[in-house]
Amino acid sequence: MKTLVRLFAVLLVGITLGLLYGWLVQPVRYVDTAPGSLRSDYRTDYVLMVAQAYAGDQNLQTAQVRLASLGPQPAADQVTEALTYAVDHGLSRFDLDTLNQLAIALRAAAPTAEIQSP
Amino acid sequence: MKGAFVLLVALALGLAAGLGYAWGVNPVSYTDTSPASLRDDFRSDYLTLVASAYDATGDLPRARARLALFAYADPSPALAALAQQRLAQGWPEAEARALARLAADLQGPPAPSSGSPASPPAAVRTPTPTRTATPVPSPAPTRTPTSTPGAPFRLLAQDPVCDPDLGQPLLQVEVVDAAGLPVPGAEVRVVWDTGQDHFFTGLKPDLGVGYGDFTLAPGITYTVQLVDSDQPVTGLTAGECVADDGTRYAGSWLLRFQQPSR
Repeated sequence: MKTLVRLFAVLLVGITLGLLYGWLVQPVRYVDTAPGSLRSDYRTDYVLMVAQAYAGDQNLQTAQVRLASLGPQPAADQVTEALTYAVDHGLSRFDLDTLNQLAIALRAAAPTAEIQSP
Repeated sequence: MKGAFVLLVALALGLAAGLGYAWGVNPVSYTDTSPASLRDDFRSDYLTLVASAYDATGDLPRARARLALFAYADPSPALAALAQQRLAQGWPEAEARALARLAADLQGPPAPSSGSPASPPAAVRTPTPTRTATPVPSPAPTRTPTSTPGAPFRLLAQDPVCDPDLGQPLLQVEVVDAAGLPVPGAEVRVVWDTGQDHFFTGLKPDLGVGYGDFTLAPGITYTVQLVDSDQPVTGLTAGECVADDGTRYAGSWLLRFQQPSR
């Protein structure tokens, strides 16, 4: 019993030391991450930048390539997600319109599924 | 002895179980990261995107706020270097121009900040935004030209330069507008008998936002033309200069272009 208590105490001390080291001395630093892991506000701003650039150059292909960095989700969905965040968090009407323009262009460009006849 | 062995085996088993869980069952996935943690190539793409968005909107405070997410004391040199790098790697010229323009414009007087891009809500807010069922098209943002539209630029001066500190013979170009203000993003075409190349002003903002240069190869004759000019400069070769100690080295050229006032 005494040994068990001692073991448990040592374990607690070890865990405490580990947490102190991991949280205070050498906390985790994220490096070499991909845009897909961005926090939702940064992610929304990323999509907004893509939309702003698209408004300037009207190059939908470049916009799609840029949005692809955010992950495998369809580009139109990425923009819709950003629009939802933008509406929920009160972005300016101009920003919403800019995002909307990109969403419209992406939806218009999306290939429609066709059933091939044999 | 036996007790210690059992403890050691238990520790090893626990370690194996922990690693198995951490690496196999539930590996670390990064979420909620900031742009500052992006891998180098993604970071370059991100910075280019900031520049492209700025190029389209002309919203310098927002570009500044977006760049503030990265730990740059002065982002201009990094942007200018990135512009050169992407131009050399064959990325679209428009991106390099946008980066060069942002690098140059950042060196102007700071404009009042309109908020942080990290928190999009902090940008210009509308009191009660409502999403319309039918999207209403908005007018496209006005694209700010990188050089002053108007009369074609004229060659103001063509001077040989003997400066041993340059290290290599350069074609140096300075472009100013009618008011004498430097013009970033002006494209300069360089043609020689076996090839051609081009560069832009503003890629080295530390030397002036209207400045650009190109390394000359000795013995080759170049024709240079500012794209916004109808006046090519022909027959440029790296001349010979003599240093104070008598050694000879290849010299440079400095061309100054200015837009005449209308």
